[in-house]
Parts: sequence; C-alpha cells; structure tokens
Amino acid sequence: MDRKKISKADLGRWLDTIAGKYELIGPTEDEGIIQFGPVQSSAELTLEYANSLIPPKSLFFPPVESLFAFRKRGEEIQLEETKPLQQDRVIFGIRNCDVGSLSLLDRVFCDDLEDSYYRERRERTTLIALACPTPPRSSCFCTTFGIDPLSPAGSDILLTDVGDVYLVDAVTDKGEELVALGEGLFAPLTEGEEKELQPPPVDMPQLDVRELRERLEALWEDEYWEKLSLPCLGCGICTYVCPTCHCFDISDVGSTSDGVRYRCWDSCMYSDFALMVSGENPRPTKRERTRNRYFHKFSTFPSRYGTGYACVGCARCLVHCPGGVEITEVIKDISAKEGVSDR
Amino acid sequence: MASESSDEGGNGYEPKILVFACNWCSYAGADLAGVSRLQMPANCRIIRVMCSGRVRPEFVVTALSKGLDGVLVLGCHPGECHYSEGNYFTRRRGLLLKNLLQFVGIEPERFQVRWVSASEGAKFADTVEQVTEQIRALGPNRPQGGMHSTEPGDR
Amino acid sequence: MEDKLQELVVELLGDGAMEYFIGYRQGFEPSHVVPCFVTDKSEADRLIWGPLCLQNLSKYVLQARDLDGKVGLLVKGCDARAIVELVKQHQIERDKIVVVGVPCEGQVDPRKMEQVLGVSMEQVTDVEDAGDEFLVKVGGEVSKLGKEQVLRDKCFYCKHPTSFDYDYTLGEVQPFTIDSESEEYDAVEKLEELPLEERRAYWLKQFERCIRCNACREVCYGCYCKECIFDRTDPRWLDRTPLPRENEIYHLIRAVHLAGRCIDCGECERVCPVNIPLGRLYKKLQKDIAELFDYEAGMEYDTVPPLVDFELDDQDPFL
Repeated sequence: MDRKKISKADLGRWLDTIAGKYELIGPTEDEGIIQFGPVQSSAELTLEYANSLIPPKSLFFPPVESLFAFRKRGEEIQLEETKPLQQDRVIFGIRNCDVGSLSLLDRVFCDDLEDSYYRERRERTTLIALACPTPPRSSCFCTTFGIDPLSPAGSDILLTDVGDVYLVDAVTDKGEELVALGEGLFAPLTEGEEKELQPPPVDMPQLDVRELRERLEALWEDEYWEKLSLPCLGCGICTYVCPTCHCFDISDVGSTSDGVRYRCWDSCMYSDFALMVSGENPRPTKRERTRNRYFHKFSTFPSRYGTGYACVGCARCLVHCPGGVEITEVIKDISAKEGVSDR
Repeated sequence: MASESSDEGGNGYEPKILVFACNWCSYAGADLAGVSRLQMPANCRIIRVMCSGRVRPEFVVTALSKGLDGVLVLGCHPGECHYSEGNYFTRRRGLLLKNLLQFVGIEPERFQVRWVSASEGAKFADTVEQVTEQIRALGPNRPQGGMHSTEPGDR
Repeated sequence: MEDKLQELVVELLGDGAMEYFIGYRQGFEPSHVVPCFVTDKSEADRLIWGPLCLQNLSKYVLQARDLDGKVGLLVKGCDARAIVELVKQHQIERDKIVVVGVPCEGQVDPRKMEQVLGVSMEQVTDVEDAGDEFLVKVGGEVSKLGKEQVLRDKCFYCKHPTSFDYDYTLGEVQPFTIDSESEEYDAVEKLEELPLEERRAYWLKQFERCIRCNACREVCYGCYCKECIFDRTDPRWLDRTPLPRENEIYHLIRAVHLAGRCIDCGECERVCPVNIPLGRLYKKLQKDIAELFDYEAGMEYDTVPPLVDFELDDQDPFL
C-alpha cells in the first residue's frame, strides 16, 4: 500500500474510532512512569515519551497472569480456563526495538512448543508502531542489532512524525483494515511531499558485534565475569525491564480445594532461580548468574532458535540497573579482549 | 486461607479472628474461661505460642493481608513473663506494628495486643467478646477490590 | 578532591592495604553515576566525586566479607551510618573496611532536577557544587540552582555531612545554608492526617504498581539475611506473583524487619523503577522509634537497637 499521511489533529479522531471497535492500548503516564495500558479515548494517551519503563512484551506475556482456576468439590475437580483476551486489540505507539523483541519472543512461545495464551494475544493484536523521535536518547543502541527505528518491519502500521503530519505506512492486511476505519482522515502524498517529508536520519552509536558470539564463547572461564558481577546487586530489574527476557515461574494461589494457577515473571538474576530441590545450585554466585545473562542474550538464544542476538538495544537495563552494570560496556569489553578471536 | 474467609458481608457476617496466646498465661486463661463455662463468641481461632514474643510481625501482616478479619495477640502481664522479659519485646513490637498498620490504612482494631494472666479466665472471655464485637462492627477486612481483586472466585 | 581520592586509592592498593576499592564512576552518560570497583591501580583514574554520587555503597562490603584482605569504600556521612549498623549487627568487622570519608555538601535528586530544569537528566552534562547552590550545565550553558530546589529529601536533615568514623578523609565540609520550609517528617505527617480509607487507597495504589524486582531489598544494607524469608519455600511466606496482596505483604514485612535498623539512606526509594514512595513507609517507622524509644539507627556504636531492648516503663496501651 502506498504511503499516506494523517494530520496531527486527525490522529486522535482515528484512534478514537479504533477505540470504538477494539481495545486500544497506548502509552500513558502515571506517577511519572510511562507505561502501555488500555485507554478509553486517545485523550488519555501521552505522546511525550521516549519509551515505556516496562516493555510492551507485558501485553503478550504479562507480569502475572492466571492460567486457569481449579475447584474441588468432593471427588469432582472443575477446571476453568482463563481467556487471555476479551476483545481484539490495537497497540498504538510501540517502538521498533520492542517490535523487534516480539519477533524474538515469537520463537520462544510459538515455535515448537506453542503457548496458546501468548499466541492468542499476538494473533488478536494489531501493532501501530511510532517511529522514534530524533535525536534518540543517548542510551539507545538498537541499530547495533540491525533494528531500524524508522522501519515498518514487524509492525502492521508505522507512523512517522514529520512535523505537522504523520506519514502512514500500512504494511499488512490488519494494518490496512485500521486505515480503512479512518476513512477521510488519510490523504495520499503528493510527489513533492514524497521527497520532502522525510524523517531526519537517526544517528546512534554503533557497537561492534560482528564476532561477539564467538568471542564470548571463548570467555566462559574468564575472570572477567567475576569483576563484572561485583557491582551487580542481584535484583531483577534488568530482566523485568528487558523486552526479550521471558523466564517465568508458576504457582498455585489459594487452597488445595479452590485456587488459581498463576504464571509470573521470574528472573535469572535471583539467587534461587536455578536452585534445585536437592539443594544444588548450578549458578551459586553472582558471577555465574551475570555470565548466564549475557551468554543467554548473545550465545544460547541465537544457537537455540537460530536467530540474531537476543538484545534489541532498548537500553532499559542500562538506564535502570541500580548497580551500573552496563550492557554496552560488556559488549565493548568483550570486543576489546585481546587474544580471544585467535584462540 | 483467603478463600475460606467470611467476606460475604451483610447479616450473616461472622468475623474470623486469629488469636496468638502465650502458653504460660493467656492460653491457661483461655482454659480457665472454658472450664468455668464462660460464654463467648466462637469467632476466634487460637494458636498457642510459647511466648507472645514468639509472634513475629509477619504472622500478623500475612494473616491480615490474606483476608483474616483480625489478629489478637495475648501475653502475660509485663513483669510476669515466664521467660522474664519476652513480653517486653512484644510490647515494643506491637506498638510499632500497630502504628504501621494504621499508617497503611488498616483499622487499629484489627490488630490488638492484650495481657491476660492464667487466673484471668473472665478477662479472656471479655477480651474475646470485645474484640469480636469491634471487628464485627468494622465489617469484613477489605471486602472488595484491592487485595482481593485477583482472588480465586472474584476474578 | 578527585585527584586526592585517586592518589589515595593508588597508594592504598599499592601498599596492599586493601584488595579493592569501591567508589563512583561516570556511567553511560554524564549525569549517570554508577558504582566503580577498582581492583587495579590503573583503574583509579575512573573514580569521581560529586553531587550525583547517590548510591550508598555500604551494601557492597558484605560481599567482601570472605576476602583475605580489606575492602576500601568511599563513604558519605549518611552512608557511614550503614557501616556503624553493620558493625554493630556483627555483619562485618570494622577493621575489614578501609573507610575513606568524603565531605558531602548535598546530593541531587535527579527527579527533582528534571522537574526544575524541564529537561531530562540526559541533557545535563555537569553538576558542580558551589556552596549554597549547584552549577548545572545543560547544552553548554551553565545555570545556578538553589540547593533547596533540587536536594534529595534526606539531605535537608543531614546529621553528618562528613563521615564521622573514617580511616582517611578527603576534607571537611564547607558550611552552607539551605532555605527549606519543610520539616523532616512532613510527608509522613501529611499521610497520617489523612482519613484511614484514603491512606488505605493511597498505599494500595502504590503497592499495586510493584513489579517485585526485589531491588529495594537487594540495595538495602540491612537486608543481609542468608536466606530471606521471602525466598523460603518451606514455609512459603510469599509467592513470587506480583499480586497486590502479595506486594503488600512484601513491603510491610520488609518495613518491620528494618524497623530500628533503617538508616534512612533512601536507597530503596531511589532504585525503585516504579517510583513507590518507600521512604515514607520507612520514615514512619523511624519517626515512631524516635518518639517512642528515643533511638536513631546508625548514629553510635554503643547504643542497643530498640527492638532488642526495652524499658520497664515503656508506653503500654495494651493493658
């Protein structure tokens, strides 16, 4: 479909039409925190944001979700499955790093072991991505991992702010359906506009990750991990704000006769994450746990799923880590390690 | 635990109250109340502890947050602790905890500490009656929303 | 002062007086200061000092307990209270730590500064202490901000701007004034005055947001239990599910466990990614402890913590 435009004034009208038919989810601000949440009208949305604190993976793989409820009456056991969604949804304002993370999570939850909860949410959601503001935050480094903050890849529609109007690229059928809802609000671009209305190019530091995996794998026993883990506090912030982390725990809440089975996020940075019933813990100290996190991102995940690196450069962990463990520094350190590539 | 809690409200409401009673004084006081055939409401579930000082704050916080309507801690009178000074610690902790619970909006009646000696069967019965009535008047501990919004049964 | 610090660290590392030194370095952007572990003399030049060195580094001495040698630590006056408590609570021997005291003339609260400046901290390239005010550089331009506008809450009531128990010191604090109209317990008292239901609603809203990342616990100097009650599986006190109810249990229990030990360093609130005002919860306990038991944590080595102590004539409302 050809590129269209929509005026800034009409964007709200279009989103309100969408909200009449779908559940509309977008960036909102509460207590100084940007988060993606359901809204009744476009007026509740904020457009003044770089990105949300908690990545929108939470809309597909929630921090806590009920899988089913169980009830035991005498000998009879009743199970009541939870419906992941009541209504089809539209997510407005997702950034491209997070769009990129969804394609990684799809491999985890939709490949050979299908997770019906995740899949249903994914299939019944249309993504309207919003190209990142320029200049990007100083922490951002998505282009390092091949993500173009101005590309419609992975989403259904991409909106690009070029001043008075948004450029609209609907790249899937789902996307076109939404554009069709806003009849009269969209206009084609004139030839002059095609050339003129261009977002400024994104300038971002590019890290060298070409041999990252090979170099990393040679460093398994390196003393580097000990040093790196010193400032780590062992909290779970990095994993909870990470758009590609996907570990979870399952627990039954209630009594043995009446309760709910919940799934909630878990973090490999917690000391008891790998603890076994026997008392054995294969990752007993912060050294092993920190190492595990980077190996998973840059080696284990890519080899398990045949993808690129499991990092999208959103920089959330970089910004929020209270100990100041910086993933960009890790990448640089590994690239700078002498004598690693010619092992 | 929570799903059994009596939070239907209205006329049939009977509060559920957890009582921690020290082995040497208050539990014996409860015994005396029973042996003396004193009448009292049956809303309390007693857990015997060796000393009121054994009651860790998490016992109270967890009980209240999981939906019990009230917690009552009973110990020997100050100066009469079987272990000499256990209840002095209870007193300090109780004060702080009570203030903290109030600070986060939990009614002060829902957590109470009283001193009941082994000879005070009548005081035990009175205390149980008083506390039950106070909590009954308050109604169920957070009947809807908030804490219970994700409880089994009312999702 | 940075030069002096770096020289000292080089000297101490060279002497073998300590195995490593914990201070601050600049993170990915100028306004982002993070802990810095200096294990080698060559890294000492990364060390910095300034009004954005917010972290209380004391928690890190716990992981140095098993070292053969000592660990060096840059300590602000407020952080020294953690050291006092750790020693008092028998978590570490005082002579395992080389305390380098630093005179602190107030730390910046980045959230306040963003509000006052109207720009994100990302654009702040330098903050310099200048007595009664901070010199803040944004995009090449320097502006002056009165300290009362942007100081961290705890700095208004600071009792020890310089570490009071140090092995080395980088200097003494130059006197400065802050015009503040707020009193130490204002925020707590404001909440106390609300009707009960409103307080309930306020805290439920705060606790609901919690994602249970455990950062408040992990950053807290006082959370040194070998096995935290929340991690225990038998008995299971708490599920990992971040349900509002479970979150409330988490925060209330943590608060009472820290009662009498919390030194008001404010780290829990500072690291909270969802901005839960945990400081108010801990400040409430601190206020009660001061009023009821006349005790303040971390001020002296030889006083007994209030909850392992009692007076025969303590207040007794229980009768």
